Amino acid sequence: MNEYIQEAKERLIDVSGIVTFFALWEILPRIGVVDALFIPPLSVVLQTLWQLTAGGALFLHIAASLQRTLIGLALAVGTGLPLGFLLGGVYPALARQLRPLLRMLGQINGFSLFPIFILFFGIGEGAKVSIIFWSSVWPILFTTIAGIKQIDPLFIKSARSMGASRATIFWKVILPGAAPVIFTGVRTGATHAFLMLMAAEVIGASAGLGWLIHNSAMNSVIPRLFAGVISIALLGAAITYALHYLEELLIDWKPASENEN
Amino acid sequence: MEGTLKKIGLKTKEGGEAGKALSWLRNIVVDNLSIIIFLSIWEAAPRIGLVPQTFISPPSIVLSTIWDLVTTGVLFIHIKASLLRAVFGFILAAVIGIPLGFFLGGWFRLFERVMTPLLRLLAEVNPFSLFPVFILIFGIGEISKVSMIFWVCLWPILLNTITGVKNVDALLIKSARSMGVTAVDMFFKVVLPAASPGIFHGVKTSCNTAFFMLIAAEMIGASSGLGWLVFNAQNNYQIPKLFATTVTISALGLSLNYLFVELERRIIIWKESEPDY
Repeated sequence: MNEYIQEAKERLIDVSGIVTFFALWEILPRIGVVDALFIPPLSVVLQTLWQLTAGGALFLHIAASLQRTLIGLALAVGTGLPLGFLLGGVYPALARQLRPLLRMLGQINGFSLFPIFILFFGIGEGAKVSIIFWSSVWPILFTTIAGIKQIDPLFIKSARSMGASRATIFWKVILPGAAPVIFTGVRTGATHAFLMLMAAEVIGASAGLGWLIHNSAMNSVIPRLFAGVISIALLGAAITYALHYLEELLIDWKPASENEN
Repeated sequence: MEGTLKKIGLKTKEGGEAGKALSWLRNIVVDNLSIIIFLSIWEAAPRIGLVPQTFISPPSIVLSTIWDLVTTGVLFIHIKASLLRAVFGFILAAVIGIPLGFFLGGWFRLFERVMTPLLRLLAEVNPFSLFPVFILIFGIGEISKVSMIFWVCLWPILLNTITGVKNVDALLIKSARSMGVTAVDMFFKVVLPAASPGIFHGVKTSCNTAFFMLIAAEMIGASSGLGWLVFNAQNNYQIPKLFATTVTISALGLSLNYLFVELERRIIIWKESEPDY
């Protein structure tokens, strides 16, 4: 019994900060310490959030943002993974030669290229998907190459000595060996890409969570603005969790890392 | 191609100074061959009509446009505007974040346990989604942009400082104490150096994100700065200027990155380097 009380106490301490924050968010605007026009109380924001959800508007915007993210990510994985495998495994010399160029390009932030993407694809889905693609393809490519390089050559040699075909070696040795590292890259890319997408949607879109925020700000519909901020935070967290879940599902041989954030 | 270059190097080996210069040049070319080929394709493609020149400006035109912008002083004005905002916001974040991180990580342990989940939550919030909130509170002026940079920089710096301080090896502190070190010395000679790698990591992370958040912010809510310059060029369909500004922004970002890597290398000389591609 004491154990439970102890654990409950610990949990309480851990969440007390967040709870206090939300309590302050509710109380301060209501008593006038913070101007309620600028920062509406939490309950009003939640109410607006509920209205948006019930009316279906929120789903529309979430769908728009999510669609762009997923398409861009899929393209990045579809390009980065095979390219990474080719460079890392089949043509390592070419990988070495390309390294300066790729590193330089990889450090160019996708957002600096946004105007150029708009130039090529117009202010439409293409430009936004390109930003997501650019932001996520570099981490994926680099981690794939690094992931292949760090596979213990002993595994490959053992497999070969047991007469495994090249296909078997790829699917059963190389892919599983590199998968944990590659997943880290996918996660990094996805987080980065989502950040960029929000900025891109604020600038040039007519739907999506970023647009929702921008529009709310322009029309001074403040509760909707904050509702949008919360939605973005939730969506971002959801994407991260989904990727974690996917990783656990696919990679069941990886020892649990102690450093989970 | 490498063989030919190597032969040139060999031939001029006896050439003394000229030989050294040539083999230095040869090394640079060989090491960065991919970049050189990329630049050559970029230069050639629009000129021979592979890609419409209205869409892609070759590097030569981009460079001459940059030169124009430099000589007319336009570029300098906007770089100054952007950098001022970025530096100001960053310094504010560092001045608040690092000491706060030390306090939370080192002294007020219980308070830190309470605050850290909240801080992590706030840090997760997409900084760009808060930009309209900042505009709302501070208006479309310098303060809104500086405050956004402040927000973006604060979290990595604060959280990494807390972690850095918390992870100082207790053994170091105990040994120092057993040698009778004063509190001041303890801070400057033990805690500060031990926490530095973590702090520096936070500083580096915040800088990179901050610079580009600034550019994005300038695109929608500013009338000066590099972000505004790009947006303006795009709206007026001045493609060479668009490319020129984008190249400038990328170059600035790259050099900032490089600056921090170098700084870290010189200041934190005891940290092991991480493996990477």
